[in-house]
Amino acid sequence: MRTLEQLTAWLTPRLRPLLLAGALGASSVAAASEADEARFNALQRQLAQVQAALQQLAGENRALREHEREVDRKLAELAAVPQAGSPGPALAQAAAAPSPAATPAAVSPVPGGLPNASALPTAAAAPGNALAGLGGLRLWGYGEVYYTDPTSARNQSQFDLARAVFGIGYVFDERTEFNSEYEVEHAVASSTDVGEFEVEQFYVDRRLNEAVSVRAGLFLMPFGFLNEHHEPTNFYGMQRNFVETLIIPSTWREGGFNLHGDTAAGFGWNVGLTSGFDLSKWNFAPEFPPYSNALGLEDSDIAPLQATHQELALANGRYLSQYLALSYYGVAGLTLGGAISTGQAVPVPAPPNSAAPGTPRVTLWEAHARWVPARWDLSAIYARGAISNTALANAANPGSPNPIPSAFYGYYVQGAYELWQRGDYRLNPFARYEVYNMGASYQGTSGPVLPIGEVPLSAAPGDYGLWPQNHDRVWTLGANFYIGPHLVLKGDYQWYQENVNFKRFDLGLGLAF
Amino acid sequence: MFRQGPRAGLWAVLAGTLCGCGGGGGAGGAPAPGPPGLSGKALAGQALFFDTRLSASGQQSCATCHVPARAFTADPATDQGLAVPLGGRHMDLPGFRNAPSLLYVAFTPPFFLAGGTPTGGFFRDGRASSLAVQAQQPFVSPFEMGNSDPAEVLAHLQDSPSTLQPFVAAFGEEVLTDPAATLAAIGAALAAFETEDPRFAPFTSKYDFWLQGEAQLSDAEQRGLALFNNPGKGNCTACHPSKAQGYSAHALFTDFTYDSIGVPRNWNVPANLPTPRSPLSGQPLDYLPSQLNVPADAEYGFYDLGLCGPFAPPPNDPNPRPVFTTITTLCGLFKVPTLRNVAVTAPYFHNGEFATLHTVLQWYVTRDINNNTGNNPTPVPAGPGGNPYFAAGSPYLAASGTPDLDEYNDLPVAFDANVNIGEIPYTPPTFAGGQAPTLSASEIDDVVAFLCTLTDGYDPSHPAAYDVPAQCLPGAH
Repeated sequence: MRTLEQLTAWLTPRLRPLLLAGALGASSVAAASEADEARFNALQRQLAQVQAALQQLAGENRALREHEREVDRKLAELAAVPQAGSPGPALAQAAAAPSPAATPAAVSPVPGGLPNASALPTAAAAPGNALAGLGGLRLWGYGEVYYTDPTSARNQSQFDLARAVFGIGYVFDERTEFNSEYEVEHAVASSTDVGEFEVEQFYVDRRLNEAVSVRAGLFLMPFGFLNEHHEPTNFYGMQRNFVETLIIPSTWREGGFNLHGDTAAGFGWNVGLTSGFDLSKWNFAPEFPPYSNALGLEDSDIAPLQATHQELALANGRYLSQYLALSYYGVAGLTLGGAISTGQAVPVPAPPNSAAPGTPRVTLWEAHARWVPARWDLSAIYARGAISNTALANAANPGSPNPIPSAFYGYYVQGAYELWQRGDYRLNPFARYEVYNMGASYQGTSGPVLPIGEVPLSAAPGDYGLWPQNHDRVWTLGANFYIGPHLVLKGDYQWYQENVNFKRFDLGLGLAF
Repeated sequence: MFRQGPRAGLWAVLAGTLCGCGGGGGAGGAPAPGPPGLSGKALAGQALFFDTRLSASGQQSCATCHVPARAFTADPATDQGLAVPLGGRHMDLPGFRNAPSLLYVAFTPPFFLAGGTPTGGFFRDGRASSLAVQAQQPFVSPFEMGNSDPAEVLAHLQDSPSTLQPFVAAFGEEVLTDPAATLAAIGAALAAFETEDPRFAPFTSKYDFWLQGEAQLSDAEQRGLALFNNPGKGNCTACHPSKAQGYSAHALFTDFTYDSIGVPRNWNVPANLPTPRSPLSGQPLDYLPSQLNVPADAEYGFYDLGLCGPFAPPPNDPNPRPVFTTITTLCGLFKVPTLRNVAVTAPYFHNGEFATLHTVLQWYVTRDINNNTGNNPTPVPAGPGGNPYFAAGSPYLAASGTPDLDEYNDLPVAFDANVNIGEIPYTPPTFAGGQAPTLSASEIDDVVAFLCTLTDGYDPSHPAAYDVPAQCLPGAH
């Protein structure tokens, strides 16, 4: 397959006489006879035809290169898939192929990933997603609608368009592209509604060479399974797991830049400098429980890093973080990875005239593994965070139900099995056991002082309940039912061993394209 | 604003030198020099603040109702024991509300609706948009400084050379040709004084020094702070935040919002009596404002309903607060006051109902337990099975001293629904957790101990010299 450079080298000596003739004709036109002028015009026409032919060849060459890339990817996928239709590892292999044109959702070594590699909404199809007539423009999207029923408090059942996301990308050239995602949460976003409109990603990626690319802008942090690949077709269960919500604050994005690349042996690496966390936003004095059910737990932004990440919204730039993420997917069906981020953070404001406390440092690390033997899909993750220099701030807020933790962690183990398949229908039941602790240790306080017994859950008269614990152990049983590669129906039930009243039944629909 | 020295200095200056010019006696006199750096307007404001000759009676200045030694609140001892100040042309007319502290008042934001929540503004009902507008009003109030109009204020000012001199120095002679402009300048001068003079924002409490690592809170004070903060116990910080809120780098212990908390009717406010009369002259209070929102079948004739009336925004306010007289859901709401110096600002609440912090807390935590007809038609007196703190079984008393059978008896029944029953420390009977107060007697002691640490004038290098407020002394309760 010829590259564009090769094609240009091949064409150049063949075009040179024509170009020379054209130049000579132009230089002698003033003295030429009418016959000469006719010859000159003929040469001009020929030159235009050659130029058009050259453009056509260049376009065909681009298309051939894109096709070649897609074929390579599919070959890699076929090599990785233990058997047709098995979820997951194919995606990991897809990730192994350096793919500067891949959209953020493209490579997804995630548990419960799309049941068929060809279903990838973006990676394989990304160049092909270019809209006819619009050059390198690409569009994609995903979203999820759910019904959740806290079976101990059925009056809190909810039905929600949790998120509707659309992505816009543009391929500037074969080495440079732009990607962005825009999300509407909870259907209606306005000053008087519960929804939000967010820019979730907004970055430019430039391939420096075959081994290294550079990315700059607002991008997703390469932590865990879910943060970068959070499309509903890519994970088990209607709601995202707690470890990758409360400990890794998915969808966690920061502004900055990174260098990333992959090796032929199946190693991936990613190192970056990003915006950091802001502890000055910490709420030591929530008057009411920040959440009273599992859904609220996920949405309350009360978790340590949920409460302090900045999402590049007028983010404080005084303190930056660094991160390193490594992954290995060189063995078919196996994905191993880990990442660490650390950096100083905006401190809690010290009272006037007081000695400034030391600048806090926020660190988060995680390790994850996934193995997909035959129809099985087994995965596990451990994530742990730390925040230093919190003693003075906590000591100044005795009695707080929400002091700043100095350590927090979570882990889960998950198993799924492809139980049934017919046509493009697939059924994948799963089970997950996870543990999270948003306050494993504290400085300057013995820990949260939680009200005993029932307390008002809001200022609304008669709205009472228990103040929740900030740690729990959760079992989830459920199934993903795929209808083709882009649609998934999900159902699951969760049991909580600490906040026992949080148990819930979830049902929902997810899509990604 | 900058941090002032220890309290000894504050009170020595304010209570001694400056306070001598206020109160009920004497002419304006020469107030002590202000701290260096005050503007000409602020110096004029200082002179105005203490000048009794600007009142119709010649006996009342700002400092009469905002006594420096009491954190710039009124002194019931000079008001015949009333919960509201006396004033008027003959100093015999009672006001309607307990005078609020002026310490830290300059941090108050102008009135605004924060997502629909009324916030800020001056006076207890936020009806003045600025300190300058607020400061003008008592001069022409019939039951305060008693001048009939700005022209009378101007005349008194021209008769008070020691105040006129800095006033003219700051504003020029020409302003004296227009009484309305003169009154506006008086307001501006007072606002400058209260804003610039650091003695209005000393931040020299033991709590401040504790935050700075220069003082230690006792165990009881520490426990009290924790109870103050905890949402299941005092939950005080919900309205009186112990952390800075953006209005100042310091915690101001108010969020400047409004709340209806159903404070009992105070029969020590003459306007509340079945037949409102001056306790001195016996004359009817013909300056009672119109009752716009009081139903015809209300239990009593006069109610102070805060945001929805009876007082309207001043007509000369250039940025008037919205008029809320038709929004009855705001009836009964008053602005949350700062708790700084609360130990020296008794009595408490807008109507001065309670004389001690202990009583305030006892009321808070038993307000909806065994108190009145809404929850219990026959309140049980203190003792087994009864309200542990109120001898009659309820803090809600009729004029006769017996339990008032109307719930929240300082509001027409129609506005009981506006009362905040959804937040701790209130424990409404619908609370599935039961009827137990959220604070025990010993916990109330601890919270009071903490509140006492909010009194300015603590000197960490000489803690023994700290002038402990009377109700904070050991055994005071």
